[in-house]
Amino acid sequence: MSGTLTFWVVVVAVGALNYLSRLSFIALFARVEMPSLFARALRYVPAAMLAAIVVPAVALRGIGSADPVLENAKLAAALVAAFVAWRTRSTSATILSGMAVLSLAQWLLRAAA
Amino acid sequence: MRARLAAIRPPAVEGPPAGRAIIAVRFREVAHLPEPFLPARPPLPPACLHVRNHFSRPDFLAGIRDMSPPLIGLLPFGLVCGVAAQALGASAWGALGMSAIIFSGAAQIVAAQLLAAHAPIPVVVLTCFVVGLRLMMYSAAMAPHLKPLPARWRHVLAYVLTDQAFAASIRRFRDSGDAYKGASYFLGTGVLLWTTWQASNLAGYWLGNVLPAAWSLDFVVPLCFLGLLVPALEDRPTRAAALASGVAVIVLDPLPMRLSLVCAGLIGIATGLIVEARGKR
Repeated sequence: MSGTLTFWVVVVAVGALNYLSRLSFIALFARVEMPSLFARALRYVPAAMLAAIVVPAVALRGIGSADPVLENAKLAAALVAAFVAWRTRSTSATILSGMAVLSLAQWLLRAAA
Repeated sequence: MRARLAAIRPPAVEGPPAGRAIIAVRFREVAHLPEPFLPARPPLPPACLHVRNHFSRPDFLAGIRDMSPPLIGLLPFGLVCGVAAQALGASAWGALGMSAIIFSGAAQIVAAQLLAAHAPIPVVVLTCFVVGLRLMMYSAAMAPHLKPLPARWRHVLAYVLTDQAFAASIRRFRDSGDAYKGASYFLGTGVLLWTTWQASNLAGYWLGNVLPAAWSLDFVVPLCFLGLLVPALEDRPTRAAALASGVAVIVLDPLPMRLSLVCAGLIGIATGLIVEARGKR
């Protein structure tokens, strides 16, 4: 690791900013009216940020020699998991179905090859 | 005003202990009033008693019970975060510090990925901050429900505010309408989640080398966020925000220091605002 210090600086800084985000409206600005543009922008943070995390993990190939079977299985698993998430709205069901399809699809694709 | 009236009204002759406690708490609320307003009252309860009087054990236990099923999904996620800390070369204390201080799977994973890619500290911190803006939205949604609570409660509850605890508790606050019942429920979900999170992170840290790579356990992370993303796509602007962000993150992938993540997020947010403004016209 390039530096234990770097690691701890990041952990403490990110932790502090995270706590301040959590505390923001609950305690810090409890009496301040939120600017309306900011309030509206906050509404789109989950959709935008979660998509930015999910899409590359599913669609972009890993660095170096990516395994095409694994990549295709990931795509299939993500599609099924998205459907399950839409129907059940349960994170656990989404993860379990996604992991199950990932294993099954890999096994099927390798058996067919 | 109600608090002042309660203070002026003569005390109940010899009420049950619970009634007395409420009077004492009301007394606390008017402690800043000038002397003549303050009638003789029993001494103030210590702050811990004040919290205990409002703590609802059944709601706390209900929170623990309702949070148990979502934990099945979070266990592998915690494991992956622990593995990421180990791969980074952190000590066991480092892994525990990361999960306890940051206490957010998304931020931990993103921080670990960026640190592994040798991104500079400001980029890591900025990206994690934008990822964590989600929490600010939860904070804003939770704020009106927590307003009646003393600062001590709010500071603790803010620390255990997570995607899952928020999703479970906000419903409870709306349904029960009682701030302290909702807060006790929220505390129950938060305590269980916090404990499990630390344990699963440490387990991941120690099991990192044993877990077979063929399991592709790290795929749990996008799946977990997919489970949160899909319910967030509730109307046209949110869907547009996700679509724009998803396209942008692929197009911007060649950017150095994984700047694609934070740029795509900001593009998505702007798109959501634009589509919303157009829809109103």
